[in-house]
Amino acid sequence: MVDTTRNIKMYTTYGTKSAKPVQPKIAAKMISKAKRPLFVVSSIVLDEDLLKRAIPIANKTGMQIAATGTSIKGFLNEDVKAKYINIHALAAYLGDTGWNGLDGEGHYDLIIVLAHKKYYINQVLSGLKNFTDLTTLSIDRHYLQNASMSFGNLKPETHLEALDELIDNL
Amino acid sequence: MSEIRAGSFTIEELENVQITIGSIVGAIEKKAEDEGEMGPTPKPGIVDIREWDHKLLNRYEPVYTPMCDQCCYCTFGTCDLTGNKEGACGINMAAHQAREFLLRVITGAAAHAGHGRHLLHHLIKTHGADHPIDVGPTNIKAPVIQTVTGIKPETLGDLEPVLDYVEEQLTQLLATIHAGQEGAAIDFESKALHGGMIDHVGMEVSDIAQISCLGMPKADPEAPLAEIGMGTIDSKKPVLLCIGHNVAGVTYIMDYMDEHDLTDKIELAGLCCTAIDMTRYNMDAGGTPTAKIVGSLAKELKYIRSGIPDVIVVDEQCVRADVLQEAQALSIPVICTNEKIMYGLPNRSNDNVDDIINDLLSGREAGALVLDFDKIGELAPRLVMEIAPIRKAKGITALPTDEKFKELTNKCVHCLACEMACPMNLPISDAMTAAADGDLTPFEILHDKCIACGRCEQECPKDIDIVNVIEKASQKVIREEKGMMRAGRGQVSDPEIREEGVNLVLGTTPGIVAMVGCSNYPDGTKDLYDIAKEMLKRSYIVVVSGCTAMDLGMYKNEEGKTLYEEFSGSFLKGNLINVGSCVSNSHITATTIKVAAIFAQRNVTGNFEEIADYVTNRVGAVGIAWGAYSQKAASIGTGCTRLGIPVILGPHGSKYRRALIGKPYDSHKWSVFDARNGEEMAIPPAPDFLISTVDNAEEIMPILAKSCMRPTDNNMGRMIKLTHYIELSEKYLGVMPDDWHKFIRTETDLPLARRKDLLKILETEHGWEIDWKKKKILSGPTMKFDVSAQPTNFKRLCKEA
Repeated sequence: MVDTTRNIKMYTTYGTKSAKPVQPKIAAKMISKAKRPLFVVSSIVLDEDLLKRAIPIANKTGMQIAATGTSIKGFLNEDVKAKYINIHALAAYLGDTGWNGLDGEGHYDLIIVLAHKKYYINQVLSGLKNFTDLTTLSIDRHYLQNASMSFGNLKPETHLEALDELIDNL
Repeated sequence: MSEIRAGSFTIEELENVQITIGSIVGAIEKKAEDEGEMGPTPKPGIVDIREWDHKLLNRYEPVYTPMCDQCCYCTFGTCDLTGNKEGACGINMAAHQAREFLLRVITGAAAHAGHGRHLLHHLIKTHGADHPIDVGPTNIKAPVIQTVTGIKPETLGDLEPVLDYVEEQLTQLLATIHAGQEGAAIDFESKALHGGMIDHVGMEVSDIAQISCLGMPKADPEAPLAEIGMGTIDSKKPVLLCIGHNVAGVTYIMDYMDEHDLTDKIELAGLCCTAIDMTRYNMDAGGTPTAKIVGSLAKELKYIRSGIPDVIVVDEQCVRADVLQEAQALSIPVICTNEKIMYGLPNRSNDNVDDIINDLLSGREAGALVLDFDKIGELAPRLVMEIAPIRKAKGITALPTDEKFKELTNKCVHCLACEMACPMNLPISDAMTAAADGDLTPFEILHDKCIACGRCEQECPKDIDIVNVIEKASQKVIREEKGMMRAGRGQVSDPEIREEGVNLVLGTTPGIVAMVGCSNYPDGTKDLYDIAKEMLKRSYIVVVSGCTAMDLGMYKNEEGKTLYEEFSGSFLKGNLINVGSCVSNSHITATTIKVAAIFAQRNVTGNFEEIADYVTNRVGAVGIAWGAYSQKAASIGTGCTRLGIPVILGPHGSKYRRALIGKPYDSHKWSVFDARNGEEMAIPPAPDFLISTVDNAEEIMPILAKSCMRPTDNNMGRMIKLTHYIELSEKYLGVMPDDWHKFIRTETDLPLARRKDLLKILETEHGWEIDWKKKKILSGPTMKFDVSAQPTNFKRLCKEA
C-alpha cells in the first residue's frame, strides 16, 4: 500500500484552508460514490505511463473526461467519454450553476484532477475553493493545497503506484 | 485682442527681452473643439467610460483565482476571506481580488508613465519643448493619446499635459485601493480597465518622444537587423552590459564610444528593452546596429554569472534586485543611472569621473549611482576599457570548472527540493544523474526552459549553485545561441493602414496576432517561434514587441534564416512586424484605432468608447503574452481588453489571479445592435474571453484563429477564418472544434473544400435544414448574414436613437 499523505510541504502560501491529504483507497471511494464526477485531465497525460492509468480510471467509472490542454489527443481512440475544453474556461463554467456540463446533463459534484502543471491547476482550484461549493480531489503528483483533498508530493514512480492502487479500488 | 499662442516672442520696445510661453492651458483641446471634432470623453475620468466597461464585464465576467485566502492590507486584519467571506472592513474575496488586480495594473502603468516622464523631462531639456513629433508618414501622430485625451500633440511640449493627465488618473486610481473605498468587484474591474487604457497613453508618450528625438526608425518596414543571443557576444573584447528599459542614459555611452573611436573596441551588449532601444538608436537613416542583444530577463542571472560582462549599467524595470551582489562577487562594477534603482550605492553624480573610476577599479566601491548622463557617457566606456584586461586576466566566472562540475553533480542527494521550489518543477534531479554519468543533454534542454530565478539554489540542502551547474553544462549550446532581430520600427503608417484596413475589417486578412510580453514561458523560447511561424504561414499579420520580439529571433529555418529574415516587415498579411520595446506596445492598440480612423473615417478625438466599440466588433486582433510575468504586462494586456482586443496568456498568467471569460452557452450575452435601425442582432461567441490562459503552445493555435472572428467578417473572410480554426484544431488537438457551427451564417461561410461534408454534419448532428440541390442552408443558423449591418454595443449610436 502506498502512503500518499506524508509530504504535504507547500512552497507558496495560499492561506488558511489547505487540502486534506488523501490515500488512494479513499480517493477511489470518493470517485465511486460521486453522482456526477468530472475527470479533469491535462497535457501531461500524454506521458504513456499516466495515460495508461487515466484511461481505466475514466473507463471503470464511466465518468466524463474534461480533456484540457492538448490531452484530448490521448483519448481519441479510447473507450472513454472525453471532450476538449480550456481549463480556465472550465473554471469559469464550473462556477456557474446554470451550466449544464460538457454533456448537457447537468452540473458536477466532484472534480478530480490529474496530469496538470502544478502552478496552473492550483490557481484553478483556488477559484473553485473560494467561489463554488464543489468538492475537488487531486490525484496528481504534487500536493495541491487548493484542492479539497489531495495526494501529497510524490516521486514519479510512487505516483504511478498510487494510481494503480486507486484503480484497483474503483 | 489677439490670441496668445505658445512659443517665443520678442517685444520691439524692450531690448534683450524674450518671452517664452510654454503652453496655453486647454489650447489643444480648444483647437479640436473649434474644428468640431472633439468626441464626448476627452481626458476621461474614472467614471466616464464606466458604461462601456460594464458592457464588457457583462459579457466577459471576471474569474478570480486567488493566490492567498487572506487580506492583510490594514491593521483590522489579517482577515480570512476564504469562500468569498467578508473581512473586517466589509470587503469580500471577489472585490479584494479585483482590487489586487487593479493594483497590479496601475503599478505597471506607473512604471511606464514614470519612464515616460523621465524621458520627456530629459528630451525637452536636450531638444526643447517645441521639438516636433515625428513618427513617420502619418496624420495621426499619437492615436492612443488622441483617442483618450482629445489632444493631438505636435511637439514634445504637447506631451506634458498628456502625462499630467496620466499621473492624475493614476493617483485617483491608487486612492481607491485604500481601505474603506470601493466595495464592488465590478467597479474595481472598471477602474483596472481605466488603468490599462491610461497605461497605453503613458507608453505612447514614451515611445513617440524617443522616436522623435533619438533617431529611431519611423514606421520603417525595413528597419535594420540586429544580432541577438549569448553566443553573439565577443567576450575577448571589454564587455559593457546595459540592463533595463530606459535607453536615455545609454545613448550618451553610445555617443561617447562613437566620438572616441571605441565602438569597435568595446562589446556593447544589452538585456531587456534597453537592448532593443539600443538597436533603434540613430537607425532612422539606416545602417547596422553596433549594440548586441543578449536576450530577455531570463538571461540576466545566467549572463552575469558567466562573468563575461566587465561593467554593468542598469536603468529601470525588470532588473534583478540582486544584480549588485551577484556582480560584486565577480568584481563587476555596477553603475546605476536612474533613481528607480539605486541599490544603496553612494550618489556620485557630482563627483569627478576619474575619482569614480579609481574607486570602482580599486574595488573600494562595488558600484556607483550616477544620474548625470554626460558623466555616465564617459564613465562606463572608460571604466570598461580599464577593468576588462584585469578581469579577463584573472578569468573571473561563477561557473564551475570541469572538476568542480563533476563534484557538484555527484553531491546531489536527489531530495527533489529544487524541483518543488522551481516555478516550473523542472526535472533537475534527473539531469544531475545524467550529468554525473557524462550526459549533458538533459541540462542543455533545461537551459532554455530555466528562467534563472535561482529559487532552486535557495532550497538545495547541499548548497549546490544549480543555475551555474545548468549553465556550465550548456556551454556548447550557449555558443550557438546566435540570432537576428529586426530593430523596432515604431508605428504602423497611414499608407499601410489604407492598404490593409479593408482586408482586416472584412476578414480576408484573417487577423492580427500580437505577441508581446516577458520571458516567463512554460516550456522554453521555441514556442514563440512555432506560434509565429504557424500564423505567418497562414497569412496572419504577426506583430511583436519586447522580450517576445527578442526570443523569436533566436531560431532559424532550414536555410539558416530567422523569421525576421524570412518574412517582410510591412503591415500586410503574412508579415512580421517588430514595433519595438515595451513602451512600443502602444503602437499595437494604436494600429486598431488607425483602422477605425483611416479605413472607416471614424472621429477618434476624445472618442474612446465609440472606437473601442468599433474595434471590438470589426478588427480581428488577438494578443498573446506567452511569458507574461510583470505588472507592466498586466497593464498592457488590460489596456488591450478595454479596446476589445482579447489577450491569451501562457499558463503562468493564471497567477495574475483574474481572467475575463464569456459563456458561449448563454445566448443572451451574444448580441449587439444594428446601428442602421437599432434592432438586436446575434453575434458569434468569439472571442469568448477577453483575458484567459492556455496550457501549452499547441492549445493556443486554434484559439488564436477563433479569437480573430468578428461580426463584420464577410463570407470570404469568415470562410478563411473558419478554415484556419478547423484546420488548427485538427492539427494540434486532433479533433474538429465542437463549436464550429456557431460561426455559420450561410453556406458560403463554410470552408470551400469541405462544404459538402460540413453541410452533412450540420444536417445530421445539428438538425439544420439543407437544400441539397442548391447546396444551400434553409434553416439552422442563429445569425443572419447582412453585409451592410453596422454592429454596435451602444443604442445611442443607432440611427433611431
